[in-house]
Amino acid sequence: MSAKTHHNHGPVGRVEDARLTTGAGQFAADWNLPGQLHAYFLRSDRAHAEIVSINAGQALKHAGVRAVFTGADAVRAGYIKPMHTLTFPGKGGMQTRAPDRPVLAHGKVRFVGEALAMVVADTLAAAQDAAELIEVEYRDLPPAVQPEAALAPGAPQLHENVPGNLALEAEAGDAAAVAAAFATAAHVTRLKVEVTRVAPNPMEPRAYIATHDARTDGYLLHVCCQGITTLRRHLAAYTGVPEDKFQFEVRDVGGGFGQRTPAYPEHGALMLAAKQTGRPVKWVSTRSEGIACDTHGRANIIDGALALDRDGKFLAMRLDWVNDMGAYLSPASMGHIRNTSTCMTGVYRIPALYASYRVALTNTNPVSSYRGAGRPDIAYAVERLVSQAAAELKVDAAELRRRNFIPPDAFPYKTPTGSTYENADLPGMLEQALKLADWKGYPKRRARTETRGKLRGIGIAAVIENTGAGQAAKDEVEIALDAAGNVTVYTMSKSQGHGHETTFAMIVADALEVPLARVRVRQCTPEKQHRLQGNHTGGSRSTVGAGSVCHLAAHKLIEAGRALAALELAVEPSQVEYGKGLFRSRDSKRTLKLGDIARTKPVSVVAEGKFGSTFPNGCHIAEVEIDPDTGAAEIASYAAVDDLGTVINHAVVEGQLHGGVAMGAGQIFGEHVVYDRGTGQLLTGSFMDYFMPRAGLVPAIKGAEHPTPSRVSPLGVKGVGESGCTGSLPAVANAVMDALAPLGVGHLDMPLTPAKLWHAIHSARPRD
Amino acid sequence: MNMAKVTIKVNGKNHTKTVEDRTLLVDFLRDELKLTGTHVGCDTSQCGCCTVHVNGRAVKSCTMLAAQANGASVVTIEGMAKKDKLHPIQRAFSECHGLQCGFCTPGMIMATAGLLKDNPNPTDAEIYKGLEGNLCRCTGYINIVKAVKMSARLLRGGKR
Repeated sequence: MSAKTHHNHGPVGRVEDARLTTGAGQFAADWNLPGQLHAYFLRSDRAHAEIVSINAGQALKHAGVRAVFTGADAVRAGYIKPMHTLTFPGKGGMQTRAPDRPVLAHGKVRFVGEALAMVVADTLAAAQDAAELIEVEYRDLPPAVQPEAALAPGAPQLHENVPGNLALEAEAGDAAAVAAAFATAAHVTRLKVEVTRVAPNPMEPRAYIATHDARTDGYLLHVCCQGITTLRRHLAAYTGVPEDKFQFEVRDVGGGFGQRTPAYPEHGALMLAAKQTGRPVKWVSTRSEGIACDTHGRANIIDGALALDRDGKFLAMRLDWVNDMGAYLSPASMGHIRNTSTCMTGVYRIPALYASYRVALTNTNPVSSYRGAGRPDIAYAVERLVSQAAAELKVDAAELRRRNFIPPDAFPYKTPTGSTYENADLPGMLEQALKLADWKGYPKRRARTETRGKLRGIGIAAVIENTGAGQAAKDEVEIALDAAGNVTVYTMSKSQGHGHETTFAMIVADALEVPLARVRVRQCTPEKQHRLQGNHTGGSRSTVGAGSVCHLAAHKLIEAGRALAALELAVEPSQVEYGKGLFRSRDSKRTLKLGDIARTKPVSVVAEGKFGSTFPNGCHIAEVEIDPDTGAAEIASYAAVDDLGTVINHAVVEGQLHGGVAMGAGQIFGEHVVYDRGTGQLLTGSFMDYFMPRAGLVPAIKGAEHPTPSRVSPLGVKGVGESGCTGSLPAVANAVMDALAPLGVGHLDMPLTPAKLWHAIHSARPRD
Repeated sequence: MNMAKVTIKVNGKNHTKTVEDRTLLVDFLRDELKLTGTHVGCDTSQCGCCTVHVNGRAVKSCTMLAAQANGASVVTIEGMAKKDKLHPIQRAFSECHGLQCGFCTPGMIMATAGLLKDNPNPTDAEIYKGLEGNLCRCTGYINIVKAVKMSARLLRGGKR
């Protein structure tokens, strides 16, 4: 597989684009089934309250209403225990305290937006109208909104079985070694940062249809998701319905970013409704519902300290985390701890590391994976600390990094928190990035900016992240060949915009040396759901996992074909060559087309693989300009050099980086889910209030590749989906802090809104 | 429940339906005509996923009632390609990798068509302003802006 040329695929367009640009995509809300009913959820309008009573009498009488479900129905069905992944022992062997969460709230509501009743009616309008007739009597309770406050003595308690709202206390690294190193340090940099709570907001709102088959007692779910295998596992755990009773239909998915991985309460509630009514039941979320109750991301507070010796060498780092998980543990909560400790040392040789974690439950919407799932958070904490240390020591920010990089010959590098980084060329990457960004020319650009009365700052971030590994036992891919020589590739991974139908097809077309048009990729198809295993698409794993197996499967097909061709050509298999879609006998030069071996019956092979983590890494350099009169900041330039291993489809990979960088920039400049600290009311509950990145936020990205091919994957690929925001969160924030440093502004937390920057600028005391 | 009889020409063909008078144009297109290429991405008219053309102007179809479009001519994403020949804007979005998940894409394409009608050769800043009402979560917009520029070149009769 060449990193440069894919002779089977030109540079233009993806396979998916033909339908997606013409309105022919099939998203979840586009499905309609005969006889379907419509569901509408009544949601809590308060953060914390006892449900004294629910009276649905009037709602049930409303025209068109078929049924109303409440928490009592959820409890009766036993749909109460969502899966969580904080299954490893915490500090001192502490076990996670996991609260129940009936699919409709029972007894208590614990965040604004929590569903406590569901109306099912002939039309959506009827269901919505009837929901207004449900009478709920609440007894308000004081809420615990901010995670540190929720952990403080005397805070309101969310769950009886979670004393102190502390779900888990965990640690990583060596506390004693870190304390000893700090005692000898020449300099200690301290910084407490918040990686704010944000809403992933894929553009497609959630939508599901649940159908129950009374004959088999099975369920068919039309969903938008990141792969059915993980969803099925979560749903089976939540509902007690065995995995083999689930069938899914999923076609186009309008973005995921981690948020579309888990089972949600709405899945379970719709299953109850489908079973009771005997009809398909459809629900389409509104955006406002989505912001209130689709899992949020990040929401970590990190109190950090970095110890350095006289030469600016890092000695030790300590990070104390408070992880706000919201009112209940989500199925993917593990990432906040595991991913952050896996990459805690960043790209540096830091001999001693220690992290503590306190996982807090609060009266807010649950938090789960969001593009990076802890990786951007740890990169942000480390890279802010490093840049701040450079500023304090008056050392060039690039030079301090250079001094502390893990050297190329130290890979594979075992980190003090027990993970092993595969490979990287960090010094080479840095030099390439400095050149691309014209680091040396910065003072001139800054002077030019200042003549226009603006502030300018430059920020750098060098980051690494674990990608690729998954929880499934293995990734399996099936390739079926027909007599016309067309191959169909079946995988359990699921694109939500990643372009698998193109990238995977390229991998197979390249291996088989056939035109791309011969290869069709099908993801999570119903007929394969109980035959193939595999990971869902998340954690930047699909090209590393399923993509690599596509390559293996194609070669397996060639081998199977060689044996079949040998029979027909009447030679030993070793005498059969394969190339460009033809089997050829070495002696007679007789040939068979690839499809010829499937003339009597289709040929099908299944390949499998299980891959560990790959470690993409990168160096991003951002420059910002800030108008001191308005506080508005603009990205003046952005350079990104990334080691993503071997790249299959450069346009797709570049697109992933663009999207990731913009998401990170969005979080730095404006995105923030805000709950009122007194009442727990959601203050950013729609696109009217929630900042979403728009065109122009990141005007351009100068990108370059600096690959060190992975040896984990036979293709040499590393993950890319999350790299962009892992780099941009710290790079952009460091640029803003650099711009404000001359004014004496020491630290600001994201989001760096115009109002916050204006206030900081105008209340600053200029440095001498 | 008050009903309204509505006749709308959609992609060149007249459709007459009797619908609840509170029916939004976007729901009329999606639910009555099964033209599901027009998407709903929000409930506050911010995202632009539902952008269509009403009498030649780009309109967010969640902001008007079907009844208000009575007698109007509407073009949706399904009406952009001519048989198998993609509209130049559709081509440009694909060739510039200006879409990933594709959910915002129909609205982006319709908004782009509206923008370029008013301003056949927009600057970057004019494109940012012109697409302010269209949200994309996947692309970071960089390739969308490229696609708009390529569209402009193609529509002016130029090359990519």
